[in-house]
Amino acid sequence: MTTILQVNGEERHSTSDPLTPLVDVLRDELFLTGAKAVCREGFCGACTVMLDGRPVVSCLMPLGLAAGGDVRTVESLAPDDVLSPLQRALEQHDAVQCGMCFPGMVISLTAFLASHPNPSRNDVKAALSGNICRCTGYERIVDAAMSTLQAP
Amino acid sequence: MALSGDQRFYMASSVADAVAALRERGVEGVVLAGATWLMRAALRNERSDRSYVAISKLEDLRRIDIRPSTITIGACVTHAELARAIAHVGSCRALASAAAHAANPAVREVATVGGNLCSPGFAASDLTPALICLDAQVELETPSGIERLPIEQFLQLRDSLPPGWLLRSVAVAQLPCRSTHARLPLRKAGDYPVAIVSVAVTLNANGQVDSARMAVGSVEARARRWEHVERGMIGRLLDAQHAADLAERHSGDFAGRDAVEAPGWYREKVLATVVRRAVADLQSQL
Repeated sequence: MTTILQVNGEERHSTSDPLTPLVDVLRDELFLTGAKAVCREGFCGACTVMLDGRPVVSCLMPLGLAAGGDVRTVESLAPDDVLSPLQRALEQHDAVQCGMCFPGMVISLTAFLASHPNPSRNDVKAALSGNICRCTGYERIVDAAMSTLQAP
Repeated sequence: MALSGDQRFYMASSVADAVAALRERGVEGVVLAGATWLMRAALRNERSDRSYVAISKLEDLRRIDIRPSTITIGACVTHAELARAIAHVGSCRALASAAAHAANPAVREVATVGGNLCSPGFAASDLTPALICLDAQVELETPSGIERLPIEQFLQLRDSLPPGWLLRSVAVAQLPCRSTHARLPLRKAGDYPVAIVSVAVTLNANGQVDSARMAVGSVEARARRWEHVERGMIGRLLDAQHAADLAERHSGDFAGRDAVEAPGWYREKVLATVVRRAVADLQSQL
């Protein structure tokens, strides 16, 4: 049984079991190792990717349900090695620590800021409530996200 | 023997097709909606080698129909979709809050109303107590046609429904009530609350409680009403401390479940506080 999906703009095929977690297909078959399989329970958010524009935890997304979908991983955010405004802000705020949670943080924030152009600081924190940072670097991550907003 | 191809995973093309596929698979057939619960079956030492019928792309099950008298929510509507759709529907505040705060943002984008109601092992469902307090009705697709049941009856029967029965939708009447949803999450418990209280009340012209429905979730294996506290609230003004006192007095009505994230006694102990917060929120709506 072959599953077809779009990954970072390219059509990809997988013959894995349809119940295989999407994160395993991304990492083990497509070698897109940005999304991290950490808790595998949907709690930590390190495996977050966008599916049809929505942030989803790819550890709990079976390949079969992603069929025909448009998957975007963190690798898609810097085409031609040009960082997105959010990625630049995170770098400028020195927000990256060990890096384990970071791809998930970046994807969650990218999806959130695309649909909430003028959030409050608390809105940003709520949007990150499913992304756990073991280095506890939350405040600088939120600072960076807030810095990308248009000044009123 | 390992299943393969369509026997392992079948994407239904219509509700009728899903029902037929489930009947054909019998007791081995499992409905797959958002999959956030079933994908963790192995972590719970449950079987993950069954025959899955996917329904999450069926448009008939993804609609939210908001009418002046009733809101009908398809079984495959996600928490995030529900929260957005009813955010401003005053009579459904408990349900909107439950949908907006369950789990975490990425899980809410995927986890469905039907999955929340049809996973008996998931005691910390936020939507279930909210739907109980709003006296929701469920609509089931069965091999012999449509069947409607009060949600409490459905929760009692859901473990024993025959193969081929499928939850289609949930309907909530738009009544002139105030409702709220209070939950106590602990980080140790992941993103799930250790105790949930959902309440809906109607008030008379003097502001006294005419009717009350209170549902408690996550404390026991299945959410259910707390009738002693409901009765004690009737005929009085909304009073958070009085409701908390009632909850304290009747705390023996619940036998808290022990689980890795919290012992049963703790769930019982915090209930009065969660009740106080819930009724305080109702007071703030006046």
